[in-house]
Amino acid sequence: MREDAGAKTNAPSRCMRCGVKLEPMRIQFGYLGHTFHTEAPGCPVCGQAYVSEELATGRMREVETSLEDK
Amino acid sequence: MTAGENAERTFSVCPVCLKRLPALRADRGDAVTLERTCREHGFFSAPIWRKRLDFKEWTEDAARLTDGGNPDCPSACGLCASHIRDTCCVLLEVTHKCDLGSCRFCFAGAPRESEPTRGQISAWLRMIVRSGETFLQLSGGEPTTRDDLPEIVAEARRLGCKYIQLNSNGIRLAEEPDYAQALAARGLSFVFLQFDGVNDDIYRHLRGREMLELKERAIQSCGRAGIGVTLVPTVVRGVNDGMLGDIVRFGVARSPAVRGVHFQPACYLGRTPRDISDYDRITIDELLEELYRQCGSAVPRGSLRPSSCDHPLCGFHAGFVALEGGALYSLNRDERRNGDCRADASARSREFIGRRWSRPSAACRASPNHAAAKDAGELTDLDSFLAGSKNHSFTISGMAFQDAGNLDLERLASCSLHVFRDGAMVPFCARYLTPLAT
Repeated sequence: MREDAGAKTNAPSRCMRCGVKLEPMRIQFGYLGHTFHTEAPGCPVCGQAYVSEELATGRMREVETSLEDK
Repeated sequence: MTAGENAERTFSVCPVCLKRLPALRADRGDAVTLERTCREHGFFSAPIWRKRLDFKEWTEDAARLTDGGNPDCPSACGLCASHIRDTCCVLLEVTHKCDLGSCRFCFAGAPRESEPTRGQISAWLRMIVRSGETFLQLSGGEPTTRDDLPEIVAEARRLGCKYIQLNSNGIRLAEEPDYAQALAARGLSFVFLQFDGVNDDIYRHLRGREMLELKERAIQSCGRAGIGVTLVPTVVRGVNDGMLGDIVRFGVARSPAVRGVHFQPACYLGRTPRDISDYDRITIDELLEELYRQCGSAVPRGSLRPSSCDHPLCGFHAGFVALEGGALYSLNRDERRNGDCRADASARSREFIGRRWSRPSAACRASPNHAAAKDAGELTDLDSFLAGSKNHSFTISGMAFQDAGNLDLERLASCSLHVFRDGAMVPFCARYLTPLAT
């Protein structure tokens, strides 16, 4: 699990739907025609991933800025 | 002669007396032309689009001069209430001197004024700089002919300039080994390097001497100092318009020192205020088409987008990441244009340019992630993409300046590149407007 995914103390350790323990998993996301992958805590049963605020406002935001036109 | 039902109304000037005139952008079959008639000097026309791409589509987001703008435009320029864009970049002429005396094209005419003193430049900087915002271009003449240039850079940075660009022919950067480092240490962000081609025939023709090896050394020197270099070719019909792809490849091969190429079709002002044939004018769609053709798959069709900060007929740009081995990864993959014409367009453009033309910090440059990605697949990893887009950013852009022969006041009203002159900000093409000698 990446530091930014587990850094917040209120980050869930279990899947809210399935109740099983989250595990590091590869997640994909797309923006403006590009696809990226990174690692985040995810549910091994239903596949849902937890995107922390740090990831969303940190590296994901950096990607958006890099791709946005002037 | 009728102009066709698709003609668009705008304003221009008589190229001889510079009197403001109503004008039409008229569809003339194989080209769109800017047409106007001066009672004293007659009818004038210049091609502004040669239909290599769709004119309407390219210009659809242009801010229109619906009310005709300021009736005193451009003779009373400074920025006025009718001017559409805020300042993105401020150009300051710190000298009229140049160590290249025989260029065929130069914005600057023969020096008519005394050299600005250091005290004058300090006073100008205090008027120009908005702390944390200003993007300053140090220009001339050749700014490096001033021995106090490093101190000028330091003062601009102390006052709070966010980005400081040096417009240079590269001679001093190449010949004095520690000069680039001295400018970097005082806060220079990047260099706009005059760079017309990849063989010395081009330089002999346009600059009167061989310069390629010198340009190479200037790039290396800036690379060692951590100053980003953008290559700036003046594109001249029949001289280097067949070399656009070679120039891009030359730049990519020198990434990350070289951050991009900024093409400028030749225009006829300053040192070259002559009337020219329609044939000699390179329109922006021709330049785009040639870039696509000469760069092949490295620059995918549609990746070059019109400027949203200036008028679409004034510029274009596209962002890439340079990959190992000289390939490019295009950042513009989506058909949607996510730039816009909001009031903060100039600020957005300033950040876009500054981010892409700067090198990252020394710590970032020294990190293990600094190597170029091997291929596009590697960039699907989030961290590899972020490292690549910072360290190996490569931008292809262009700006088509206007002269008295093709000046469109609608374009001028959207200009965000402003020259500081006599205490006022003047749009670039108004500052250097020169009557054509017919």
